[in-house]
Amino acid sequence: MQAAIECDGVGFTFARRPILRDVTVRIPVGEMVGLLGPNGAGKTTLLRILAGVLAPEAGRIRVLGEPPGWRTLRHTALLPERGHLPGWLTIGEWIIHARRLYPDWSEERERRLVDDLALRLDRPIARLSRGEGVRVGLLTCLAREAPVVLLDEPFTGIDLLSRETIASAIVRECGDGSRTVIVATHDVREFEPLFDRVLFLKDGSIAADETAEAIRARGQSVASRYREVFSP
Amino acid sequence: MTLDPPWQPPAWELDPSQPLYEQIAHRIRVEIAASRLPGGTRLPSVRDLAASLRVTPNTVMRAYAELEQDGLLETFRGQGTFVARSSGVEARAQARIARQALEHVRRVAADLGMRVEDLLRLGAEAGGGEDDDAGSHRV
Repeated sequence: MQAAIECDGVGFTFARRPILRDVTVRIPVGEMVGLLGPNGAGKTTLLRILAGVLAPEAGRIRVLGEPPGWRTLRHTALLPERGHLPGWLTIGEWIIHARRLYPDWSEERERRLVDDLALRLDRPIARLSRGEGVRVGLLTCLAREAPVVLLDEPFTGIDLLSRETIASAIVRECGDGSRTVIVATHDVREFEPLFDRVLFLKDGSIAADETAEAIRARGQSVASRYREVFSP
Repeated sequence: MTLDPPWQPPAWELDPSQPLYEQIAHRIRVEIAASRLPGGTRLPSVRDLAASLRVTPNTVMRAYAELEQDGLLETFRGQGTFVARSSGVEARAQARIARQALEHVRRVAADLGMRVEDLLRLGAEAGGGEDDDAGSHRV
């Protein structure tokens, strides 16, 4: 099967500190992948490199066969951990703007997401809670037809019911077998059933790369495997 | 042609330390064995069931595939997945569950170094059995 994402020996350094070291992974098309690790492990940096907004210092990357850059932006949708949506617009105004901004925008997905994520279109973006802000960002990512979706900490600082709504929407919009999704999170326990594969990122390196069902076939949960990998 | 709305499973709690596709397949098998899902009942689409259980679509696909292999479900292109209409679907589901239950009892007996009959007798003597069953159904 074609790989959606291939990384070979990817490295990145910031202020002389190595952030990513020799990251080598291959993710098949259509998988839902958890990128797991504590804060500071390098998850955000890796997502930004895959999205083409940051260039790696070492190694080779292919996203659907192409090196990330402005050309791959059209098939990659990134939900940043802290979004910068225009605060002076209402949610509805932002959506109208986004329809024109993204050539791959699907109004059918948009309508379903407004419903599923329970968004109130007349709310000004500047006054949204963290949870509502993430839901608008998620709509902006998932209403596009982009075949690669990268979500950075979509569950942090959000109440349980919103987290469940968000998880269901991710599955509904990404579950056609052709979209590849990477979710970076340290919220392992609740959302481990969302992942086909889990990558454990420890101090900038891939400490383990396993399918979730292989872990469960050993009678272990992903959360307990996480503790095993990351406990000192 | 309009189809009946599909069966909506209850919000199952899944055990994250056991394969999820097996648990989903087992829950559906129990519904069929207990005659709560008659032949011809339409099941939710892979995507809908995955979204409501918040598992990956691959997990649901694998569960459906296993039940299809057992002859309990059938999928028609463009229409969806249904409980098989063939006769004996319930009996086949019951047989499979009974076999799994027996395997479990055998494992426990082996762990204790006992014979299955002795384990069952001990359980009945220790107050298990009918009263417990009635209690668990009341929940």
